[in-house]
Amino acid sequence: MENNSMIHVENLQKHFKKAIKEPGLKGSIKALFNPKYDVVKAVDGISFDVEAGEIIGFIGPNGAGKSTVIKMLTGILTPSEGFCRINGHIPTENRKAYVKEIGVVFGQRTQLWWDLALRETYMVLKEIYDVSDEDYEKRMAFLNEVLDLEDFITSPVRTLSLGQRMRADIAAALLHNPKVLFLDEPTVGLDVVAKDNIRKAIQLINKESGTTVILTTHDLEDIELLCKRIVMVDKGKKVFDGELSTLRQQYGQMRELTFELNKEADMEKLTYDQKFNFAEDDLKLETKGNEVKVRFNTDIASVEEMLSFTLSKVHVKDISVKDADIEEIIRRLYKGGGEAV
Amino acid sequence: MRKYFKLHRIFIAQDLKKLMEYKVDFLMGAIGFVLVQAVKILTLGIIFASIPALAYKVNGQVVDSWTFNEVLFIYGFSLIPKGIDHLLFDNLWGMGYWVVAKGDFDKYLTRPVNSWFYVLTEKFCVDAFGDLFVGIVLVVYSVLSMPADIAANINWFRLIPVAFVIPFAVMIYTSVKTATAAISFWTKRSGHITHMCYMTNEFASYPAKIYNNVVKTIITYILPFALTAYYPAIYLLRGESVWSLPVTIGVSAVLFFISQLVWKLGEKAYESAGS
Repeated sequence: MENNSMIHVENLQKHFKKAIKEPGLKGSIKALFNPKYDVVKAVDGISFDVEAGEIIGFIGPNGAGKSTVIKMLTGILTPSEGFCRINGHIPTENRKAYVKEIGVVFGQRTQLWWDLALRETYMVLKEIYDVSDEDYEKRMAFLNEVLDLEDFITSPVRTLSLGQRMRADIAAALLHNPKVLFLDEPTVGLDVVAKDNIRKAIQLINKESGTTVILTTHDLEDIELLCKRIVMVDKGKKVFDGELSTLRQQYGQMRELTFELNKEADMEKLTYDQKFNFAEDDLKLETKGNEVKVRFNTDIASVEEMLSFTLSKVHVKDISVKDADIEEIIRRLYKGGGEAV
Repeated sequence: MRKYFKLHRIFIAQDLKKLMEYKVDFLMGAIGFVLVQAVKILTLGIIFASIPALAYKVNGQVVDSWTFNEVLFIYGFSLIPKGIDHLLFDNLWGMGYWVVAKGDFDKYLTRPVNSWFYVLTEKFCVDAFGDLFVGIVLVVYSVLSMPADIAANINWFRLIPVAFVIPFAVMIYTSVKTATAAISFWTKRSGHITHMCYMTNEFASYPAKIYNNVVKTIITYILPFALTAYYPAIYLLRGESVWSLPVTIGVSAVLFFISQLVWKLGEKAYESAGS
């Protein structure tokens, strides 16, 4: 089964040599004559498989090694150890044939021709990717429909808004109908409406063309709306790989209790930490005037216990209990470093 | 191959369109290059106003000498291969200054095109028309204003082998830039190395014989810019240094091979940049 997967990653590693410098000019000069290096394992043995047509959320805190993995998968970086195979290709071998089958969007930088009308970019890409006239027409019509390019296709790229530019960039990555689309932070810096448009488009493209999508993001709403499965990395290692719902079950013991106090001074009476045996991470109290928000770990105290304790101590208006959102779960995972799965 | 010619044409067209968007920028660039050349020619003029000719002496004996017109001719000729490289392949400069350091090289690696070719041809540098224009004007002017006896030495059939060698001369420029730009794959920035090596071409715009052996060896074989300027020019003028023509072809082929090797190895060492 593994050999048939669209993306197969095995023990992928990337080591960077990093110069050790003491601070200040003196340190710099010292390093110039007697350079010392440290090997940093930015990616330290990551393995996973992705089936054709999946949308995978690839997440992790800054500096976790996400981008480095994406860059190895797209053939930009050569792995130090291990390998990845995408649709039968090893990216760094026969790179030119390989990249015809993938599309890449780096949210932080554009691949459009900055000074020219957007349409020009697509015309050049058509030649670069050897897209036939017929396929080009068809593909542009489809992308136009999904990404709404019509309004700005004749404007110079430098005049586009960030949201328009991102749509244009995604279209540019899809012109040659790639089998795999790599999206590195496609919603970074966008407003709510623009984010929504992008997400819908990604979903549609995945459905209509069967494109496999690898998505890195810091916006967990992207993940919730788009990905069934996530791969999480931290410090170069994989810390979670599975369905989002599993993650919820596994780490989702957090609940959120919200209520409004009748008297603000009652706050002191809510001595949860004395009553229950919460560790630092298990309990979080937020207050805003009379409003109180308590996040707690149900492994330590059940919802019932918490509710009855609260009600026995204070008078409240409007009390509600909620599942912790995915953001909270992931925050806990990042913080704990997670356990390798 | 056909695809690559087509792509190159498209890139040139794209840049010409861009030019229309930024006319002032282009104009300033071209004027700048003409001004730089004008100052250099003026310097030559001032020097030759006080000396009759440039002489090469061994033990006090004049072995060879070049008149103002001949020096002007060599200088003008040197601008032609230099200008062609500047016109077509200027984009290489960016590699060592910012493309690699900022991680912008990623883009070239995600396209189904030879990365070197892509970087090389992405920009069409019209400023170089300043170089080419001055070069051609100098060559024509210096021939027209030569004393009749010197001009009579010029056999115009020599133009055929020289024209044949010019693309190889261009390749010398391009290969030196390629190899030094590729150093940035390891060092992140190598713009100043490229600049330093490139600037040795300034030596090569004058008769190579006037330099000591070290400089002469460097500009003939190591950073062989003399092969792009003095040697073909003096062959055209006097029929001297016929040997330099095949040497130019051979040396440029070797340099090209080395520069490609450095580029390929560098690509594997490329580390991108955090995003």
